[in-house]
Amino acid sequence: MINDGSDRVAVLERALDVSGWREKRRAHAAFNAARAPVRRGLGLATFYHGGGFTGGGEVYLKSRLQVAGLPDGRIEVRSANIEMGQGTLTVFTQIAADRLGLAPDAVVIAEADTARVPNSGPTVASRTTMVVGRLVERACDDLRRRLGLSESARGDAVRAALRDWHRAHPDQSLVGEAVYEQPPGINWDDATYRGDAYGAFAWAAYVAEVEVDLRTCAVRVTDFVAVQEIGKVINETLARGQVQGGVVQGIGWALMEECKWQDGAMVNNQLTNYIIPTSDDVPPIRVAFLETPYPHGAQGAKGLGELPIDGPAPAILNAIAEATGADPRTIPLTPERLMTIAEFGMRNAE
Amino acid sequence: MRNERDMTTNSAFRTPHSALEVSFTLNGTPTTVSVPDSERLLDTLRYRLGLTGAKEGCAEGECGACTVWLDGLPANSCLVPIYQVRGRRVNTVEALDPAAVAPLLDAGATQCGACTPGVVMTALWILQHPDVLATHTVRELMAGNLCRCTGYDGIVDGIEAARP
Repeated sequence: MINDGSDRVAVLERALDVSGWREKRRAHAAFNAARAPVRRGLGLATFYHGGGFTGGGEVYLKSRLQVAGLPDGRIEVRSANIEMGQGTLTVFTQIAADRLGLAPDAVVIAEADTARVPNSGPTVASRTTMVVGRLVERACDDLRRRLGLSESARGDAVRAALRDWHRAHPDQSLVGEAVYEQPPGINWDDATYRGDAYGAFAWAAYVAEVEVDLRTCAVRVTDFVAVQEIGKVINETLARGQVQGGVVQGIGWALMEECKWQDGAMVNNQLTNYIIPTSDDVPPIRVAFLETPYPHGAQGAKGLGELPIDGPAPAILNAIAEATGADPRTIPLTPERLMTIAEFGMRNAE
Repeated sequence: MRNERDMTTNSAFRTPHSALEVSFTLNGTPTTVSVPDSERLLDTLRYRLGLTGAKEGCAEGECGACTVWLDGLPANSCLVPIYQVRGRRVNTVEALDPAAVAPLLDAGATQCGACTPGVVMTALWILQHPDVLATHTVRELMAGNLCRCTGYDGIVDGIEAARP
């Protein structure tokens, strides 16, 4: 039973609206009726992805995170989570700065050196912003408590208290800490493997538009709309980048990227013969977010990183099905594969 | 700028191939290197001259991470034997004006950053030659620079935002 308060119908309706679903369906029917060698189709995928580790994973991890108060009035976030381009440094800076009312340049993110930072768990499972970001907030709260400040203390009050504390405790360190706690109302039973598999899910509806050339069975994605509900969007540029990058990987997975194996090794392990999409192979990815804040994620955020890879392939295959009358069930749907099922407008794939 | 140090353990640099003396203009500075005749421009830049901005992604001219300007045109430095550079102009990402990449940063044109040095070399070449946009789209012109993170929208949007 999933009851996270999110409006899934709104996600679907937004995707249909942004993509111009109804008008395009009519236009494609008219276009395809001419029985030209090029056919058009529109496909939809609705899906969801849990944030954080499955089941009791986060409970077993017992992630720990620290926020140290520095003598110059800045704070240092100590986490084991890695910046790999997805934006952890920026988002943790935003979360900590917002929590304590500090300017972003008053927040230092420590190098994720395990000699210096506590184990806040791996940088995987769409957990960094939602789960570890929440620890950043709670460690900020703990730091404020150690300074003897009220919950509403922010900005100048925090900076002054940090300087005062260090004057009174020279050469000592001041560290706020948080340890993961299972949010109330989320229950998982490892004995029966039942319960809430995830604290929260991100929900999405993706629409792909394709053109299929029946002579070559080449498929081109001509439009792509990605609508998702991910709780609070903390940084719109970074969140959009996660979606656009994931969708383009998903387009590659759906249409061209195939690992060929021989004797236990990948034989096409070069970019010459393992083809990934270029800028000219994909359309602009049109992204929209809906926000239903998740009370146990940082600022209401849910997990996002893995979600966008789930939807493109089914959306694209559904679009190809509509364009060709074929019923593709295999990815990557390379021209060679599509030819075997599209040639006679066959309904049975493989 | 003469640099005789052996900066790598790669056997290609230790093998006493016949050495070539190659002079060219690097980021506006006359430069002479003494190198094995089989060396690639990418290796000379990275391992002899310490300019590590250009990246080796695929080493076969597919990905564009090693893009530099050769006589003012973007080129994959992994495919350029150093002897072909004799007497020519080479510009690398190190010589770029950092302010020129600000619109790309704002648009989310970089994530992990592996492709970024090559991406900005091609992107800024497009911006300095806007006439090419009369016959080619940004997406066509950027197709030689693979990016696995951004989905290209940030890159394309950044170039469009910076267009004069």
